[in-house]
Order: sequence, then structure tokens, then C-alpha cells
Amino acid sequence: MKVQRIYLCENSIEGIFTAIYQAWSSRYGHANIKIQEKNDMGLYSNFELFSEYFMVETDLTLVTKVSRSIKEKISDEAYQMVYRVGISNYKGKADLIYRFLIFGFSVGPKILGHLSNEIVGQIYKINRYVSNEVHHMHGFIRFSEQENRILVSVIHPKNNILALIAPHFADRLPEERFIIIDGNRKIAVLHLPGKSWVLIGLPNYSEASYYQYSSKEEEYQDLWKAFFENIAIKERTNFNLQRNNLPLRFRKDMTEFQS
Amino acid sequence: MIFQEDMTIQRKLEILSDAAKYDVACTSSGVDRKGNGSGMGNSLACGICHTFSADGRCISLLKILFTNECIFDCKYCINRSSNDIVRASFTPQEVCELTMEFYRRNYIEGLFLSSGILVSPNHTMELLLQTLVLLREKHHFNGYIHCKAIPGADPVLIEMLGWYADRMSVNLELPTADSLRELAPHKKRKNILKPIRQIQLRRENEKEYLGLPNKQILLGKSDIIDSDMKEVISANTSLQLYQSTPKMKRRFVPAGQSTQMIIGATKESDYQIMSVAEALYKNFNLKRVFFSAFMNVNQDNRLPSTEEGPPLLREHRLYQADWLIRFYGFQTKELLSEEKPYFNVLLDPKCDWALRHLEMFPVEVNKADYYTLLKVPGIGTNSVRKIMMARKNASLDFADLKRMGVVLKRAVYFITCKGRMMYPMRLDEDTITRQLLSDKKQLPHGVDQSITYKQLTLFDDFNLNFNVN
Repeated sequence: MKVQRIYLCENSIEGIFTAIYQAWSSRYGHANIKIQEKNDMGLYSNFELFSEYFMVETDLTLVTKVSRSIKEKISDEAYQMVYRVGISNYKGKADLIYRFLIFGFSVGPKILGHLSNEIVGQIYKINRYVSNEVHHMHGFIRFSEQENRILVSVIHPKNNILALIAPHFADRLPEERFIIIDGNRKIAVLHLPGKSWVLIGLPNYSEASYYQYSSKEEEYQDLWKAFFENIAIKERTNFNLQRNNLPLRFRKDMTEFQS
Repeated sequence: MIFQEDMTIQRKLEILSDAAKYDVACTSSGVDRKGNGSGMGNSLACGICHTFSADGRCISLLKILFTNECIFDCKYCINRSSNDIVRASFTPQEVCELTMEFYRRNYIEGLFLSSGILVSPNHTMELLLQTLVLLREKHHFNGYIHCKAIPGADPVLIEMLGWYADRMSVNLELPTADSLRELAPHKKRKNILKPIRQIQLRRENEKEYLGLPNKQILLGKSDIIDSDMKEVISANTSLQLYQSTPKMKRRFVPAGQSTQMIIGATKESDYQIMSVAEALYKNFNLKRVFFSAFMNVNQDNRLPSTEEGPPLLREHRLYQADWLIRFYGFQTKELLSEEKPYFNVLLDPKCDWALRHLEMFPVEVNKADYYTLLKVPGIGTNSVRKIMMARKNASLDFADLKRMGVVLKRAVYFITCKGRMMYPMRLDEDTITRQLLSDKKQLPHGVDQSITYKQLTLFDDFNLNFNVN
């Protein structure tokens, strides 16, 4: 029996794709290979016994090759689904994507119809989870206006979804300068009027440094809170329903729940 | 009546959002519109909820009345002219400012503008139109706008408003003409249906012009239709185009129109209410009919008391049935009848229907067609779509169904996989009902948890009284 090989890669689409390329081209046998992403804190998970570890250096030329093959041999839709899994917080996503692609390259675009397959089913499930969070964020993001008329929003999503949220707001607020910060990952989306949005890193980000409200800002926050209070019908109060629809984890970033 | 001069905008917002909260529709769905690269706003067909209030209802739009001054005296309404409450009115500028600033901060998806009748329907309508024009033309607002059409206003005004709004609605208020006459003496059912018809015809006319297929039309016309509806439909006078298409890159009421009815203020049965809703969908091509559980906000003793809370469960059942009619191919007369005019309190309408039609079950998941699968309790439109896709590649088993999101707890009594049921069971109404209700968590909120099925049959006969009050 061969010794199991584990490819350890960066926790990003690029890292995962590089590992997949290397694992595949090693011709060691899919059953003897596992791909593992490093977790978000930069620490390694527990090492497994009786396995050989390979550290994967992200290589962008390999990434392009893998993504091109997915689009050509499977489909664009499959690529998008893989992408969403890649940015999710699902543990073991690298190996899941690997298994999905092995299956995908053998059956082609039809793979998306194999809903009863466990791996495909899992891919669908994670996709729904990520897309739901994106949809939630479209609604739950709150901007506050700073002194220089810049709109700032801080969110703490579970998945790394900034790049999926940004197009919606760039389309909606074309003439605004805005910034959406992912407080967990210390990255941000920047948008300037007439330009396309960009994703940047904010290694020195801290909560306090982004709040210098403009003179009108607090007035509108109060107006919004007043509206929020008054629109509820007392006789129908149902906090359970409210919590089902709007989980508590979103609320700390939402104006109407801040005192 | 109390008038106050120099009210702050905060105070006005408090009064006029409080007055608008009984309006049900807060949806922002039905129209896909990309941003135009300038101004502000776009719109998504799926709609976006921006927050949820303490009653658990979605807040999507800035839902306000333009004014709560009203010359009408509808008995059920908090803003009726005989009530002694604080009155306030916005100016068009104030509404625009609130909408734009809220929208920028992503508090809202757009504006829902309704109003009391100030001076006259025409005067009110002109103010609403002025607000919308200002918002679209001066502030270049490209987000969602839902606006009420005021019955009795000049058709020209209604048509103009339609070019600026995404959705329009006229409230039917009450299901039948009799109860409307009784509770809203100033309103006439025919006057309410006329603008609905006008907007419908104008939309269809524009769709023909644009060559768009009309996906919404349900098959067949409803056979249950009252005399008012007949009269309004046959009178084709309302199909006059008062304006040639204005030169703007907009469509006429692209998200369609909706309406709402108050449930439980008058004595109509669920059967009557659903028949009216179905007739509205089929004959007036509405997008949505909303139901609003009645609350006796005026403590008026001529109306039923709602001290034990509004009839929320009844409202819930009506919405479930509404869904079955719009997306599942059901008809009102399949779900209810003259002899059984109320929905089952304990079971949802689909389960209830399936239990009365056990001769049609079980169905084989791997073979049954789309519409047959849709009628199985626990299988919804999404699950059916997935099943149809998955069974092309493999024959499905119960574990696969579970993974795809089918609610086996309910579906298991009505389906077979590869010719077998999940486990052997007796297929009769009593057994299945008892099984379905044995999980207390499945019982609707507000129903006595200690209930057993035997008590239930008694209770079912009781149903009539339970629902009416």
C-alpha cells in the first residue's frame, strides 16, 4: 500500500487550484492523495500519521490552467460553483473540490445533474449557503457617512464574500465613494465614481479608526431608528420570527440594533 | 382633529410610518433593472429584505403615508376622519430627501408611498405624482417605488403615476361588496376595481407593444366571479390611452400590481376569500393578493373584538393556499367548497388536500410527472426541480431525497422510491393524520399543545365558530 500524500495549500482559490494541479500531475493515484487547506488563523490542523506532507506554493500559471480546464471541460456554471465553495468557510473544501473535479472531468457538463451524488450534493449545499449569505448582505449592510462624504460599512461575514457583494453596490451607487470592510479578514472593497471597484488588504485595520460621522449622519440614523420602531405592529410581536429571519450575528453591524 | 404647525421631520416620520404599518405589502420584487451608471439605484427581481421589525415582518421599503389626514370614515381604519389623532403631512421634498438618504445608506430598497385622502382623491393623487416625478427626474432615483392608486382619482393621473412607479396597488379592503358598503361607506367596490382594470389593460397593451410574452396569465378564467367584477371587465371604456407613451426609458408598472384585503373583520369564509383572490389573479392579472389579519385598532364595538390577538393563523393558512394557487396548479374549489368553507387549523392546506385524496397516492418519485410531484406534501417547487434533474442520472432513494431538501417527515406517507415505501404503514386518513400531528413541534403556534387526534375531530366541527370570531 502506498503512503498517503497530503498537499497543504493556502486557504484561497489560487492555493487550492495549485494543489489540485500538482496532485493531479504527480500521477500518484487520486485515492492516495488528500488536499488540505490551511485554516484561517494561519495555523496547521493536526498532522495525520503515516502520511507524507507536501507544502504547496501558490503558482498563478497553474491556477489559470486549472480554471481554464474547468470552464472548457465541465462548464462555466461548474466553475462558479467551485469558486463559491472556494471562498466558503467549509472545512475540507479543498479536498471536496478535488473530488468534485475528478468526477467532473470524467462526466463533463452533466455533472451538475448528478444531484444524488454525495459530493455534488455537498457542493450544491455549500453554494446555497454562500449565496444566501451574499443575498443577506445585500440587504443587511449599513453605510454610514463620514465627514468627507465617504460611505463606510463594516461587516463580519462567515464566508469570504466581499468580491461577490461589491458588484451589486457598484451598480447601485455609481456616483458614491464607498468602502466595505470585512472586519474578520481585514480586507476591503473600495469604489470611486466612474471607476471599477477594487479589493484591497487592510492589515492595520481596527474598528475605531473608521468612525468620524458627518454632521448629518446621526440625524439620519435617528430617523431610521424611529422608523424601525414605529413600523412594527405591537399586537403581532414575534421575536422568534424576527430572529429566524434576521439572525443575531448580523445585528452588531446594523444601525437599527445599535443603541 | 389636532393640527400641529412646524412639526419636525422626525415627528412626522414617527406619525406617518406608524399610520402606514397596517399596509401589508412590503415586497420589492418583480423587476430586474440594472443601474444606469449615474444617479442612484437598481432593482432585483428577487427583492431584498433590509431588516426585520419586532413583529418579524420584512422591512424592504420606506413605508409611509404621505398624509394621515383623511376625509373618509372607514370603520376599520386608524386614520378615519372621526378619530381624534395627531395629523401630519409630508411635503414632496421631505419624502424625496428621506428616500435618497435612506437608500444611500442601504437602509431600504425603495419607497412605498400610500396616503390618506386629503381634500379629494385627485388632490391627493397629484401630490403623490409630484413626489414621484421629483424623485425620478430631479434626484435621478432608479430604485424601487411602490405607490398606491387612489380609487376615484382621474384616470389620467393614475396612468401618469404608472410611468414612474414600479408597482401600483389599489386596496380592495374587504372581500365582498356588502361588507365594503357596511364598513367603508365612502368607498364603492366598482370604483376600486376600475383603476385595477385600467392598469391591467395599460400593462397588457404595453407588453404587446414591446413584444413581451405574458408569463403570469393562469390557465382559464375563473368561473367564480361576482357581478361587480363582470361589470368592470365588460365595460371596455377604461381602455382608453389617455397619454401616448411618454418619452422616457421606463416601462409601465413593470412589477405589476397588487391588492390587499382585511381578513376577519367581516363574516366571509375562507372559501369566499380565496375565490375572490383567484378571480383577481385570473381576471385582473394581479401579481399578488395580500391578506391582513384584522385588528380592532379603533376599539369599535360594531366590529369583532381582537383582544385575543389578530387571527394570524387564519392569515397564514390563506397565504399558504395563495401559494398553492399561484405556483402549484391548485384551484380554490379543490381546496375548499361550500360544504367545507374553512381551512383545517392543524394541517396546512396541501396536507389537508392530500389526506382527502389518498386514492391518488402514493406516487413513484422516479416516474411521476412535474405536476403530480408538486402535489405531494413536503415537496415544493425547488425540490421537484431537483428531483427532475437528478433522476435523469440515477434512480433516487429516500436518502437522496432528504439530501435534496424534501421534507420526508410529511412526504413519506405519499411517495414510493423504486416501488417501495420507506417503511410499511397503513394508508388511511386517521393513521396518517395521527402520525403527522404526533410531532408537537409541527403544530401551529397558538394551538393547544396537549391536543390529541380524537379531540380533533370534535374540534374540526367546531372549526366554523373558531374561525369566524
